[in-house]
Amino acid sequence: MDRTAELDASVPGRSAAALARLLHRDCTRLLELYKERESFLSHHVPEGERLVTLALCPEALTTAEQVGHVRSALRRCKELLECLITREVEEMGKELEGEYESLRMTVKDRLGHFVHSTGALLENGEDGCPPSPNFECAEGQDEVEGSGSFAAKLWTYRVLLELIHWTDSACQTLHLFHTEKQGQQQLL
Amino acid sequence: MQVWLPLALLLSLGVTHSLGQNAVGELPVPRGLMLQADLPAQTLFLTWESDSSLFDIEIFHTELMNVVLNETVAVQSNPATGQHGWSWHSPLPLECTSHSVLIRARNQQSVSQWSPLQTIPGSDIPEKSGPQMFPQDKLVAVGSNMTFCCIVGERQDFSKILYKGQEMSATRLSRRTYAITVTNQPPSGNTGTNVVCSSQMQILTGAVVFVGYPPGDEGLVCENRDLASAECSWKKGRDTHLRKKLSRTNYTLNGRDCLEANEGKIFRCNWTMWEGNWTLVARNPLGTVQLTDFARLTDRVHLLAPVNVTAVDIKAWNATLQWSWSIAAYKKLNMICQLQLIGHEHVITRNYSGMGLSFVVLEGLWPDIEYTVSVRCGSLHSFWKWGDESTPYRIHTKMDRPESLDVWIWMDSENTGHVLWKPLSVSESHGALDEYEVSYSKAEEDRWTTVSRPREDFSYPITLNNSGDITVAVAARNPAGLSQPSTVTAPVYRTDSQLSVSELLGTDGGFDVSWQLDANASRGYVVEWVPSGCSGLCPVHWEKVPESNGSIRVQSVSLEAGVRYTISVYVLSAGAPVLLQRWHGYTQEMIPSQSVGDLSANQLGSDVLLSWKAIAMEQQRGFIRGYTIYLANAASLELIGNVSNPEVKSYRVRGLSLGSYKFIVKAYTSAGEDTGSTVAIKLEMDTDMLVVGILVSLGAMFCCLILISIFCYKKREWVKKAFYPEIPGPKVPGDWSSPQGPLDVKPSPHSLVHIVESPEWDFRKKGLVPVPEEEEESENENVEVDTDSDEPALLRYYNQVVGDRSHSNHVSDSSGSSTTSVGSTQTEITYTGIQSPTSSQVTNGAGGYRPQMQSAAGPAEPQLGFDPDFQEESMNMGYKPQCSWQLDFPDAENFSGSLGSPTSVTSSQFLIPESSEEKPQPSNTWFHNLLSGKS
Repeated sequence: MDRTAELDASVPGRSAAALARLLHRDCTRLLELYKERESFLSHHVPEGERLVTLALCPEALTTAEQVGHVRSALRRCKELLECLITREVEEMGKELEGEYESLRMTVKDRLGHFVHSTGALLENGEDGCPPSPNFECAEGQDEVEGSGSFAAKLWTYRVLLELIHWTDSACQTLHLFHTEKQGQQQLL
Repeated sequence: MQVWLPLALLLSLGVTHSLGQNAVGELPVPRGLMLQADLPAQTLFLTWESDSSLFDIEIFHTELMNVVLNETVAVQSNPATGQHGWSWHSPLPLECTSHSVLIRARNQQSVSQWSPLQTIPGSDIPEKSGPQMFPQDKLVAVGSNMTFCCIVGERQDFSKILYKGQEMSATRLSRRTYAITVTNQPPSGNTGTNVVCSSQMQILTGAVVFVGYPPGDEGLVCENRDLASAECSWKKGRDTHLRKKLSRTNYTLNGRDCLEANEGKIFRCNWTMWEGNWTLVARNPLGTVQLTDFARLTDRVHLLAPVNVTAVDIKAWNATLQWSWSIAAYKKLNMICQLQLIGHEHVITRNYSGMGLSFVVLEGLWPDIEYTVSVRCGSLHSFWKWGDESTPYRIHTKMDRPESLDVWIWMDSENTGHVLWKPLSVSESHGALDEYEVSYSKAEEDRWTTVSRPREDFSYPITLNNSGDITVAVAARNPAGLSQPSTVTAPVYRTDSQLSVSELLGTDGGFDVSWQLDANASRGYVVEWVPSGCSGLCPVHWEKVPESNGSIRVQSVSLEAGVRYTISVYVLSAGAPVLLQRWHGYTQEMIPSQSVGDLSANQLGSDVLLSWKAIAMEQQRGFIRGYTIYLANAASLELIGNVSNPEVKSYRVRGLSLGSYKFIVKAYTSAGEDTGSTVAIKLEMDTDMLVVGILVSLGAMFCCLILISIFCYKKREWVKKAFYPEIPGPKVPGDWSSPQGPLDVKPSPHSLVHIVESPEWDFRKKGLVPVPEEEEESENENVEVDTDSDEPALLRYYNQVVGDRSHSNHVSDSSGSSTTSVGSTQTEITYTGIQSPTSSQVTNGAGGYRPQMQSAAGPAEPQLGFDPDFQEESMNMGYKPQCSWQLDFPDAENFSGSLGSPTSVTSSQFLIPESSEEKPQPSNTWFHNLLSGKS
């Protein structure tokens, strides 16, 4: 039993998978808090394309390539979240210090950890996808809705949905990655 | 293309309209009408040229031609430009839909033609196909009214507009524009109020409005902390509800930005120089507030806290405290400092003043006490407020000798007592006590004997000799030394019986004791109180009173309600204390905790004597004022007596009838009755008296009988004559007096009542008619049954005879009845009126008188002698009564008249009247029973 635990702990991707699960839970909670604040979004389903779309990779990606894929997406999500925080702080200042404000910072930090840890996981630079272009915060908002506070709220909502979507994808991919690596180690 | 068509029509209409006016008006048409829109301000600016100064202006929504303004305005031309200018504030955002304007000149009743139509396009034109809402992010005051419009996108349907989640009534302004008007808007939340325009399926667009208040700040006050700079502060006042960074309140003090306040966390603004006049401007997008303050620097000194507070030269009763100032300028300030000492549960505040005060001597401290001291200071002149308080500092004073003890001697008997002293408080002991020293000196001895008592002891027993007084001195010792001894002489013991003891009732948990001043009380008085009846280690309390006082309020936590106290006042003089007065009292009377004891009930004839014992003093809990006696019924208590004298412990309940009773006796104080003791008693007849009564009655009756007997004996002749007169002997011819032989009277067989004469009767047949055995038995059975009935047998017999007579056709029955009756008469009938000689003849000879003995002789015998001639024969053959009875007494009246007569024959057969043959009268029944001996 102890041997299994040690083996499991040494398998690459385990901590990243756990972090992805934690991130997914945090993002879900973050969206709940935002809906509590902006109740008109309770049943809103945004239309249009996803905020975070990556260039299509070759078919039949390996698991490691899929990890690189979600890593890129979450890196973009992190940029969106940073943009969101910056905008909210600029608009409202740092006077508001509720659970939503603290959790969004936590999610941002954990996204940084996730990107870093999955980068170390991909030993051979198995990003699989071309690197994303630099993200411009103002540009991104304008593309989506416009410049009013109402548009910003809708955009924030979409960013949070993206976070939930991609953290969920990261959970599944890293679980698969971890399982494969575990199998390989047992074979060795 | 379809959208442009109505616009072109409108333009052509405007031109036509203008041309038409030209045709009829004399005034020139305003020229060069230009429109400019301030969209955030929702204001439309009109400029035109004209020589007139009065104009009609008409504004309408272009698409639906809804007129929103039709007004005549007087506008002068700008001398510089020669143009007329006029502005209009639209309640609707100008982006919502296109607005068109017409203008014409007016001079009283004459008007010019309308100017060419000018239109400012809205955002609902086809070029802008996306959904939009206006106004966006507007900031308005609470309570204001506002109109929002939603421009739906091309090919989008419109469903509703929600304001703060609530659906509002929308008005259509154009093909794509819908508007709502919100009145009296409430304050927004942190992120504004959402206005959402949606279709059936989704959110189309929306806007956020920020509703808040203008600044509500107030109370600007400026002061200085260092005698140089200024520190201004104020109160925030009402929340503006504006959280956006750009809409928060901005503060400037004397024109300079207050950076700390603009951070939004504190409401204070500092400046390095004192300027005397201060103006604070608080501004937000909704309004401005200006606050001012004016003061000299010395009038607003708010000192900082002293630092480095320390105590030097700490003694038992004082200490020196010193500190320093962080601001050098304070040394030249005439200041007042306040020291607060907290020690031994007391808070002491003392003020000191001086130039740049930096040390004080704290007097009046108590030895061996730990004090916590803090200092704060202010400007002595033009005092503004106390400065900040220093950090608390601890001081522990040194010890000193204890104070004198309060000593008293309580005598619990003539020869024994206890020296008592009160424990010293912390402030009195001046340090932890080590022990007590008790010294005593007896009158006959000229030396003091000293004993040490541990610090936990507060009494010492003493014993007096008969020779004289004993004087005791007690002192306390602590590490600093021995206290001054307190001396007291033992008072003379007095019991309650030796003096008059009064009752004393307390008030509010204490006693108000007063007495006559005594000239000998050179050292005052001692008021002593102790629970009455206490012995051994009793809680004795005392209070010393100056000689000038004649009263005291005894108030102590040791006093308990419902406990009797003995309060004594002693006179203190050079010698032994002398008892002046004594009371027994309760601080508060309560109902007795126990009922009367040994309650008993004794019957005294028809009275009941209740007796009981008094309640023990400890259980009385108040002065017993009396007893109440209740008779307990099934469901209630009936008050039957009240013994108001508590010394009486019995009560006689009078005049009770026989039965069971339950009595309850309750003692009562001024607080009420106790629960009561119960006793039951059953009142019974007095047996001795009953026996005596019976014996007396019997004796009286016996005496009466004796008297009657004597009387009868004495008057026996008279009695005999009266009740038993001589029955004359029968007067018969011949000599009856000496018969030669027994009278042989042959009873005639016909002496039987010969009643039935049946034609069918065959007299020629000898003997009886044979009667079947069964029939006879049956008749016998009937007879036996009849004996149980009320109807006398003899009467039955008679009835049968009579019945036989009346039913003479039943020959066999009558003969049977006759046979049976013979037997019956043989045993039942007595002939009281028949003289014994005749009877003896009957028994001695078969030929004697045997009127009813036929059955004994033989059943056939009566029949043998029964012939038609028997009446004549019987009339000739002597004794007649039975033969003639039927004839002489045919009815009851005659019968009753014969009773008691000496000549009557008390035979029941002959006494039954004929009329009662079926059912005899009850009045006769008992008599017949009596005669026949039947019960």
